[in-house]
Amino acid sequence: MTAAPPPSTGRELSNPPTDGISNLRFSNHSDHLLVSSWDKSVRLYDASANALRGEFMHGGAVLDCCFHDDSSGFSASADHTVRRLVFNYNREDILGRHDAPVRCIEYSYATGQVITGSWDKTLKCWDPRGASAQERSLVGTYAQPERVYSMSLVGNRLVVATAGRHVNVYDLRNMSQPEQRRESSLKYQTRCVRCYPNGTGYALSSVEGRVAMEFFDLSEAGQSKNYGTFATGGCDGYVNVWDGNNKKRLYQYAKYPTSVAALSFSRDGRLLAVASSYTYEEGDKPHEPDAIFVRSVNEVEVKPKPKMLPNPAT
Amino acid sequence: MSTAQSNLLSQMETTCGSLLHELQIIWDEVGESDVEKDRMLLELEQECLEVYRRKVDQANRCRAQLRQAIADAEAELAAICSAMGERPVHIRQSDQSTGSLKAELRAILPQIEEMRKRRSERKNQFIEVKKEIESIKNEIYSPGGYALNDTAVDENDLSLRYLEELNRELQALQKEKCERLQQVMEHLNYLCSCCSVLGLDFEQTASEIHPSLGESEGSKNISNDTIEKLRTAIQKLREVKMQRMQQLQDLASSLLELWNLMDTPVEEQQIFQKVTCNIAASEDEITEPDMLSADFINYVKAEVSRLEELKASKMKELVMKKKAELEDICRKTHLIPESNSSIDIAINAVESGAVDASCVLEQIELQISRVKEEALSRKDILEKVEKWMAACDEESWLEEYNRDDNRYNAGRGAHLTLKRAEKARALVNKLPSMVDTLTSKTSAWENENGVHFTYDGVRLLSMLEDYIVLRQEKELERKRQRDQKKLQGQLLTEHEALYGSKPSPMKNQSAKKGPRLSCGGAGASNRRLSLGGSMLQTPKPDMHPPTKATPNTRNAKKSERLNQDSLRDDGFAALSSGRRGLDLAGLPVQQHSLNLQFAREMESPMMRKPFSPISSTDSSRSNVTNILDDLNKKHNEMLHKTTLTSNNSTPFTTPSKMISMTDVENRTPQATPFPVPSTPSTVSIPMQMALTPAPKQTATTVPMQLANARKSVDEEIEYSFEERRAGFVVPRSRLVNAMQV
Repeated sequence: MTAAPPPSTGRELSNPPTDGISNLRFSNHSDHLLVSSWDKSVRLYDASANALRGEFMHGGAVLDCCFHDDSSGFSASADHTVRRLVFNYNREDILGRHDAPVRCIEYSYATGQVITGSWDKTLKCWDPRGASAQERSLVGTYAQPERVYSMSLVGNRLVVATAGRHVNVYDLRNMSQPEQRRESSLKYQTRCVRCYPNGTGYALSSVEGRVAMEFFDLSEAGQSKNYGTFATGGCDGYVNVWDGNNKKRLYQYAKYPTSVAALSFSRDGRLLAVASSYTYEEGDKPHEPDAIFVRSVNEVEVKPKPKMLPNPAT
Repeated sequence: MSTAQSNLLSQMETTCGSLLHELQIIWDEVGESDVEKDRMLLELEQECLEVYRRKVDQANRCRAQLRQAIADAEAELAAICSAMGERPVHIRQSDQSTGSLKAELRAILPQIEEMRKRRSERKNQFIEVKKEIESIKNEIYSPGGYALNDTAVDENDLSLRYLEELNRELQALQKEKCERLQQVMEHLNYLCSCCSVLGLDFEQTASEIHPSLGESEGSKNISNDTIEKLRTAIQKLREVKMQRMQQLQDLASSLLELWNLMDTPVEEQQIFQKVTCNIAASEDEITEPDMLSADFINYVKAEVSRLEELKASKMKELVMKKKAELEDICRKTHLIPESNSSIDIAINAVESGAVDASCVLEQIELQISRVKEEALSRKDILEKVEKWMAACDEESWLEEYNRDDNRYNAGRGAHLTLKRAEKARALVNKLPSMVDTLTSKTSAWENENGVHFTYDGVRLLSMLEDYIVLRQEKELERKRQRDQKKLQGQLLTEHEALYGSKPSPMKNQSAKKGPRLSCGGAGASNRRLSLGGSMLQTPKPDMHPPTKATPNTRNAKKSERLNQDSLRDDGFAALSSGRRGLDLAGLPVQQHSLNLQFAREMESPMMRKPFSPISSTDSSRSNVTNILDDLNKKHNEMLHKTTLTSNNSTPFTTPSKMISMTDVENRTPQATPFPVPSTPSTVSIPMQMALTPAPKQTATTVPMQLANARKSVDEEIEYSFEERRAGFVVPRSRLVNAMQV
């Protein structure tokens, strides 16, 4: 009898954003958590100490944010700006602008560039070391077939998902044209794309609630033994951990009060930050308050299970 | 000297003088000589002296004896006194004593007497105490454990102090005895309760330790040995008790678990309430008699094993039920349970006890949920399959009915059959569209799920394909018949022209039959295609992105599937067409090619071209229309239908036309039936079909993209949640620009 204790939602962070959470990310070096929100702010938390370490106000809703290092980060705002945030001095400067709200932002450690995707159907690369003048920081602008909805990078590969179910795979060393042009294998609008940490491919989710697992190299699909498990969060308020290898769900955490807007594992995978925040999927309507939960991740929850019963037939 | 004695002496003196006088007289008479006389007198005097001496000696001896006696008495007195630890009562006053020896002796004797008495009393006391001590010691130390050497009383020490000592010892011993007795009683009490709880015979247990303990009355043995034995016995019983208690508590917990698991009725639980209420009791809390007896534990054990058996059987039942459920679901959804045999083996394993039933249950449950999920995804298609099958039944019924020459004979219930035929015809007309949508849905499903859609183990697409082929054959058969009839009709007309008469009923029949049969073929295709048309013509402005996406992708999937199919089933298609060719050996080549075309399900016309006997580019039209045209020239209605057919069939067959249509309507499926360039299947098409011109494809993809872009301008633009929330609207001018880029 292994009656598991009721899984808890984890510790709730105090001082959460006052409006929808657009994204949250753990730092690669500490348990610091960067959270962007529709309340026009980017907040920096110390997840292990449950303390708010900084707050940056923007001219519009912040749609995405990412860390540069532990002392600075970047944000993508609906006021078309891309900003650099310096935590220690509480300073922010505008790296550049798009022609429409900036939907997503990534920092590439491989190239030292900031990549932003916008609803103006372009991708822009920025050099954060450049001075505040845009012409000096902008590295390049790359047209996309549609409005950029989600981006993810691993190593030198960048996967861009846009409206119209387009997926472009770039090599950051040659951004002039996509390395691969693909169409989403899912039927509906792409919601999110995330690369596998081992760099063999990416997982892509649609508004319908499905997740597809794709590989950069088709030959790798066959020997797909080398990727681990991943977590998904949905508008149903559930966070599920999946074993993509066996197409099985490993674990379902307790239901969160409202839609799961964003998820992030800490650098060592011991913590999982969950943004429980209404994602506007059903328009403007009364909803639960926005909250950030940080829960510790048990190894058994994310480790692929061995086969329960050896199949007697084989 | 008393007077009597002196008197006696004086008398004696008198007698002696008188005797001497008498002797002198005698002697004087006798005349004894003086010498004699003197000798006689000496003799007499000597004898007399002797007598005196003897008496003095006697007296002297007597005095010595007396003195001895006194001394003895005094010594004895002193000894007794010293033995009794008392100061001598009588202080010897012999020095000052004035009394005679005899008086002295007389005085001392009663004292001795008294002292002796006292001594013997004291001695008795000692003996008594010692005896008691001994007896207690005997009781305490097991007999033989204590040597009987101290029983004799030491005559020399009869002092009170010693007695006191002995008394103290005795008291201590008595106390100890008391304590021991109490201890024994305590032990016995515990033993008794233990025995009652454990269901053992107390008296027997006690007697085994010591016979005296088993008796309810009488003194108990309190020896060290017994107490030790008692203690070990208790220890042993306690161990047994603990062990049994543990056992019982284990049993109780499994009982509770089983009750909980199986919702055992309370009445059944009530019997074992006293077992379960003790589940957390400590050792001394269990006091109820027979609570831990072997019988009782066996009883509970039996109950537990009964429940466990029940549980096992229930589990087995559950497993069987689940299996039945799984099979039921599979049957309902026309799935073939994938690993039925593995489940059977697992169930056998459960029955043999090799595998835990819950494990298997879980597995089956997993399978059920999987099957359910699959069933859910299949539901839509299955419903359509059911409808299709029902329609097929109706179709075959209708055929049967049509073959009946007397079907219009008015009889009982004829109107009902007529009605049914009416309905059946309507249904049959819908059949091709039904098959079409079913095919597209199925292929979409297969694309989405990556597996074949099977119906009772048979791939649904192949069933549909078979059906289409069968239908085609039937249609051709009908056409042939119609041709014949027409020929006959012509003959008849000629005949009529010659002879001016023709059998009207025959004519009537052929006229009737013609349209009806064609209705099955052309009409059906018309329906199907017009349905496709209506799909395309869905009003654009209020199209929701997902709903719109569905038909689009479906078409896309279909086309993909078609391509894949054409590849996958290429061998099969060729084979089956070959077979069909054999079957329909009598049919014209045209028909054969038509069959193949249907088997391929509208591939590129370029592929068909070489097989088609008609050299026209508009091959698809030619196949259908030409024949029909030939046949149905007379019927305007039919002609209309065929034109419709040709018109509508183009989107599926001729790419060029399709594009023109998009130009006109802008409502063509977004992903037009062109293979995705990267899909390997398309690459193999030119390999398989060497005649298919590869450039054609690339040529067609470009306008398609253009059409797509153009379409997306006019179409309602999809927006993400964030865009909607931010109120973001894609500006039109920029879009056009982007398109131009």
